[in-house]
Amino acid sequence: MKNKRSFTEELSPRQVLEIDACTQCGECLKHCPIQDVTGNPTVSPPEKIRMFREFIRATDGLKARFFGPGKVDRKLLEDFVKAVYECTTCGACGQNCPVGIFTQRLWPTLRKEMVKRGLGPIGAQASVPNAVSRSGNPYDKPAADRYQPWFPEQVKVAERAEIAYYAGCTGAYEAQPMVRGDALVLGAIGEPFTMLPPEEEVCCGFPLFITGQHDLLADLVRRLVEGYRARGVKTLVCSCPCCVNIMSRDWPVFYGSDLPFKIRHITQLVAAAVKEGKLKYRKELHERVIYHDPCYLTRGVGVIEEPREVLRSIPGLTLLEFDRNGLNSRCCGAGGAARKVYHENAVAIGRLTIDEAVAKKADRLILSCPACYAKVNEAMVGHKNRIQITDIMELIGSMIEGEKS
Amino acid sequence: MGTILVVAAYSAYSVFWARFLLHGLVWWKAMKRLSTEPASPTTAKVWALTVSDVFLFTRLLMVNPALWVGEWAFHASFLLVLLRHLRYFLNPVPAWVWCIQTPGTIAGYVLPPALVYILVIRLFTRWEKYASPANMFLLCLVLVISSLGVLMHVLYKPDLVDVKLFAWGIVTLRPAAAPASLLFLLHFILVLVLIPFLPTHIFTAPLVMMEARKRKKALRLVMHEE
Repeated sequence: MKNKRSFTEELSPRQVLEIDACTQCGECLKHCPIQDVTGNPTVSPPEKIRMFREFIRATDGLKARFFGPGKVDRKLLEDFVKAVYECTTCGACGQNCPVGIFTQRLWPTLRKEMVKRGLGPIGAQASVPNAVSRSGNPYDKPAADRYQPWFPEQVKVAERAEIAYYAGCTGAYEAQPMVRGDALVLGAIGEPFTMLPPEEEVCCGFPLFITGQHDLLADLVRRLVEGYRARGVKTLVCSCPCCVNIMSRDWPVFYGSDLPFKIRHITQLVAAAVKEGKLKYRKELHERVIYHDPCYLTRGVGVIEEPREVLRSIPGLTLLEFDRNGLNSRCCGAGGAARKVYHENAVAIGRLTIDEAVAKKADRLILSCPACYAKVNEAMVGHKNRIQITDIMELIGSMIEGEKS
Repeated sequence: MGTILVVAAYSAYSVFWARFLLHGLVWWKAMKRLSTEPASPTTAKVWALTVSDVFLFTRLLMVNPALWVGEWAFHASFLLVLLRHLRYFLNPVPAWVWCIQTPGTIAGYVLPPALVYILVIRLFTRWEKYASPANMFLLCLVLVISSLGVLMHVLYKPDLVDVKLFAWGIVTLRPAAAPASLLFLLHFILVLVLIPFLPTHIFTAPLVMMEARKRKKALRLVMHEE
């Protein structure tokens, strides 16, 4: 396969250096969830970088300079595509990289390069742009069902407000107890909040971004940002770590300027409300709970303490930690849009989370990401170890004193 | 023989620089593109941490202390040995090069065991999951080169005047006869093999380490007020 286009076209200046800076030490493999369940080094971070260096050499190497772009081994390209799409993009490799390569951003960029070459995405991921264009969400579900099945009747949504809540597609369609909890808690805090109508609350763009399919992103972002701007929003709240990640890091790029509002994860809002006494619990919870950090919330946007503050505020609760927590947390298996293609990996990784929670004698596993919620619940089906899985806002929703409207 | 080795030395040196310049060209082209990533400030703390990362391998220490011992000993001793060898390529020899002769000699003895230690950890311990063939090749090559250096220092000393004349001939483009020492010839030829394969991460890794420190400092600001 001849390539006139340079393989570095999509890379940022920093990422070009990162590709070169990898020392191939392999430390990252010890933190890679895919390695934990496959043990296959050919899909490991240093192998991905080694293969990509071969591609760059073919289009930008010495031979290419003198004799034109060389052929790239088709098999090597196929191996690379498999490796880069099997990855959950959790970024644990980069967090533990002795050089400090920001892999959580590098892998999606390499996926984008594969998409530009017609080699990616793979499997069900390829249908995401059409689904988003057609129905506004990657699951191709009707917009009419976005809020209706789970939104609590007693919670009132304002037409205009300084706070807006974005439910997100995965929460709304695949993790409804979680978003129901969000709405209950927001209602209980008592600050007016607004939401876009279901047909206007389209995909945040993350599934497209993470699979390297960027064509629709600018339009989606513009529609959402303008929608919130028209409602006078100053703070956009969301419980999905993937959504808050793209909103805070990439929306300004696709929108073309700074956003007219700030982005906050719901645990930030709730932690502040607890401190200010706006949220009261109506009962105690004498349980040992273990909290799983979502990769895109910790390594992505640095929200680590607030979920813990919220959990510690529950009377009677004992908070346990996974061995890998905070910035070093282990992926639940659902990340990187790989869960729909490499289902077995995702389930096996999810079971590692369940097993550790059970081994630590936790009564309950607390999650704060809809993708984690959907996948870890799926992983428990047919698994020998069992634990009660609850989203953090689902838990708070069940603990609050009354449900104000 | 001397002329052949000198030509080989220039070739190896040229390949190294051609490779480096080519990488530089790719970086330069990338730098022309506008980065969409927000720039983070480089504070004094970021500088200090980066210096610590580059010279003490702090990030490796955090993730693998056992390997860190070997890697730090290897890189530090390799650097000292390289600097010690400058006495063959400079005339007159600067005072600081004379000052590091003794540490350089000690480093020469540390280098081979450090490499053996790294290889044992990489290849024979249960907890290491990956060994890059390219890295293994380079480590083995440096191990042989450094072991030959120790042998020449301890047992089979070549004529150092001949070595100096030969090295100085390379620098001044006036090829001199190669020293009549088989170990030296082998040592020198393997160094020529090593030069074109020297990894370019020695130039880029420090820059990436600095970016990582800046990013870590800026992470909290993504979704927090301060």
